[in-house]
Amino acid sequence: MPRLISPLVLVLVGVILFGDGAYIHAKAWLAQVLLERAFDRSVATAQPAKPWSWADTWPVARIEVKRIGASAIVLAGTSGQALAFGPGHIHQTADAGERGVAVYAAHRDTHFRFLRDVAIGDVIDVTRSDGKHFRYRADSSAVVRFDASGIDPAAQDVELALTTCWPFDAVTSGPERYILHATLIESDR
Amino acid sequence: MDTYDAVDNDEHPMLGRLIKFGLFLLVQGVAVMLVAFVALLVSFEPGWSATTEQASLLQPGDARSGTLLLKEDGAYTEAIRLGIDVDVTVSGPTLRARITQVFRNPSNDWVEATYVYPLATDGAVDTLKMVVGDRVIVGDIKERQQARVIYEQARRAGQKAALTEQERPNIFTNSVANIGPGETVLVQIEYQEPVHQSGSEYSLRLPLVVGPRYNPAPIAQSVDFRPDGSGWGTTTTDPVPDRDRISPPVLDPAKNPPVNPTSISVRLKAGFALGEVKSHHHNVKIASPDSTTRVVTLADGTVPADRDFELTWKPAAEKAPSVGLFREHVGDADYLLAFVTPPTEQATQKPLPREVVFVIDNSGSMGGTSIVQAKASLLYALSRLQPADRFNVIRFDDTMDVLFPASVPADAAHIGEATAFVSALQARGGTEMVPAMRAALTDKLGETSMVRQVVFLTDGAIGNEQQLFETITAMRGRSRVFMIGIGSAPNTYLMTRAAELGRGAFTHIGSAEQVEERMRGLFAKLENPAVTGLTAKFSEAKADVTPAIIPDVYRDEPLVLAAKLDKLAGSLEIKGRVGDRPWSVTLPLQNAAEGKGLSKLWAKRKIADAEVARSMREATPEETDKTILALALEHQIVTRLTSLVAVDKTPSRPEGKPLKLSELPINLPAGWDFEKVFGERPQQAPTQLRERRADAGSQPATRRPMPAAPDAIRLPKTATSAELKMIAGLILIMLSLVLFAFNRRQPLLTDAA
Repeated sequence: MPRLISPLVLVLVGVILFGDGAYIHAKAWLAQVLLERAFDRSVATAQPAKPWSWADTWPVARIEVKRIGASAIVLAGTSGQALAFGPGHIHQTADAGERGVAVYAAHRDTHFRFLRDVAIGDVIDVTRSDGKHFRYRADSSAVVRFDASGIDPAAQDVELALTTCWPFDAVTSGPERYILHATLIESDR
Repeated sequence: MDTYDAVDNDEHPMLGRLIKFGLFLLVQGVAVMLVAFVALLVSFEPGWSATTEQASLLQPGDARSGTLLLKEDGAYTEAIRLGIDVDVTVSGPTLRARITQVFRNPSNDWVEATYVYPLATDGAVDTLKMVVGDRVIVGDIKERQQARVIYEQARRAGQKAALTEQERPNIFTNSVANIGPGETVLVQIEYQEPVHQSGSEYSLRLPLVVGPRYNPAPIAQSVDFRPDGSGWGTTTTDPVPDRDRISPPVLDPAKNPPVNPTSISVRLKAGFALGEVKSHHHNVKIASPDSTTRVVTLADGTVPADRDFELTWKPAAEKAPSVGLFREHVGDADYLLAFVTPPTEQATQKPLPREVVFVIDNSGSMGGTSIVQAKASLLYALSRLQPADRFNVIRFDDTMDVLFPASVPADAAHIGEATAFVSALQARGGTEMVPAMRAALTDKLGETSMVRQVVFLTDGAIGNEQQLFETITAMRGRSRVFMIGIGSAPNTYLMTRAAELGRGAFTHIGSAEQVEERMRGLFAKLENPAVTGLTAKFSEAKADVTPAIIPDVYRDEPLVLAAKLDKLAGSLEIKGRVGDRPWSVTLPLQNAAEGKGLSKLWAKRKIADAEVARSMREATPEETDKTILALALEHQIVTRLTSLVAVDKTPSRPEGKPLKLSELPINLPAGWDFEKVFGERPQQAPTQLRERRADAGSQPATRRPMPAAPDAIRLPKTATSAELKMIAGLILIMLSLVLFAFNRRQPLLTDAA
């Protein structure tokens, strides 16, 4: 029955497309589970631990917003590969807990979906892979263009910036980025 | 399933294989879909649980008229609204002010509000009340840290709480926790203050807004060497360690309507028949129930809190009373407040020649009307110089120019040069006041036959007051420092303390009309000999007198003394020298009239003494803190070491509901120029990472580099095509289902035919 071929092809393409999209979410979720383990291992051993043998990145920090129960493991670097698995720490920025601005970026529809729910005044906890804890408090937010972030890498304070694509509900990607800014309020050093 | 029926009916083998392959893919697709759905549920969960918070986000179009919107989280939230009512009662020598701040929360969130506001420098804040519905909660005085802890606990527990903290002797912060959606909370503070007197004019000043301060950046450590030249010194780090606490957000008047409507009423009971009563910067209605009483209210109902309220009054009689003596009995002690105006010596001899160094602040905060007033004042001063005088002019922003290498004779050529220099000044840049003060105090001539005077014109909009005070005490030598506070909201604390440490006087110029009158008053002080060598002695009572070192008194100024006595008996004798003639006056104590709140004024003045002693390095910081704490706790007043805290014991915020922090914005003081203080208005507002704060200075306005694209951090692409693919996929699946259904119907129709 040749009449059946065209709907069949359509359904195939549809399912593959949907599956592909869902796969991105599945990968993001599964990767975080593996990363969680790798992170605990690197905290325990004080050695960078790769989440799986062929990975080209490793976890550098865990970021938590307890009020809304969100957490994610941050990876080194922000290559497309790394961002598929977790938030990435932009290379040329300071480490969390050091003087300057540490910038973490992640996809708005996976790991940093929770960013929309973080209110000014919320406490953001960052655990570094060496086991040190830092507590930040969100103090401002802004929407900027990707090439005019306004982030000063040589800032005097210990600061944190979480960035993702803006607007949150858009389907296509655009030039705007959302920045949540936080300042260190407590560290266990 | 439809597909199986289709296979059975078909006989073509090639097509069969193709369909089998298709089926295989389909099954695999379903499996992937299942996994995907599970993943989707897991990854979306936190997002769903918190969607209720989005409700508070508004767009500008939704706002009701007159609503203040603040940009936050990329969308607009309706801000906490604040109304202020000031009620002042003047009873003779003192005044009591009650300031009621009404915090109304129009949003759907639970909010914690903080508001930074100014108070009179000499005001002793002793009462905090919080009104929630019909309950009034009275605040207690506690050590600052302890009060903070109590407040934080209440905040976390969801209880309503109010906290009053002192940031500077004239800057306070009120924090109010857990204001519910749609709720209104009233916070009331009260303070006691002495009335100011100058010549026959009495005055009160209500500061209503904190001008944005320039806070020098801690770029390099500065080194303070001990004055003894031993080569040992200390490095100091941040000149303004609490910059965040004195820098509330400031609204750009070009973009926002004024906020914080304020109503003011003053009940003036002078204690003598009143002559002229005048409000200098506000339109007022004045009612006179009797000859010694006036009731002053704002003519327009409310005004935005953007300038100081200044009220002056004069007695109906030609001359004001030259002596005032008031007493109060508190606990087992008597407190005494004495005002004595020394006689004005008729200038029989020619005044001593003077060396005057004028310093003018032309920083960005002086932009607008302030610089005009400052220039007019300085030009007036230059015209008053005598040929025998010497003078110099220094101007500063975050740079500095000294007009002449050393002070020059005030001849026509030099005056002309200085006039041209002053007339050309423009307001811009930051406010680095310390180097200018150093330069002014450097006594290059060393001419001891001349009186050396420094006249400093500024709005005092800096956060590192303490550094300036230390400079004055370390370098003052024989110079005397006269401060002229310029503009609608000058930093009175800086003016009074700098003049006190510099053994000079201060005056305020708040509008162009005041320039001539006030400058004439100041010149009377500069040109006439001061009353020096003042001492106060009680004949019988054992007294603790403040100020501990009685300052010199300039022409038309009263000597104000506060004392704590063990018994109210005998008399008070004040001695001094007017010019080169001795002068003394004796006041019998039993003639003192009953006054109110004198003990608090005495304590507040003692605290100022302790701070001065610390600036002069006569007391260690630890000793100072101990003295201040003891006084503050005994007399129940707010200081930098003590705060007032009030907690409503009934919890109000339900557990689990989040609390948002709202730092209430303030107006830019009237006549200030926003762009001069904060630099160019950004073309694209969002490129500014933080809200503009009243920290006017870390980046000198005009020199601020534009956000340079090349070395800025580029943010990576952070959106996946997942959603797009899933939506497209779903649409295709739906489409094919429709086609299937259509195809199933088609054969039946043809069979029937």
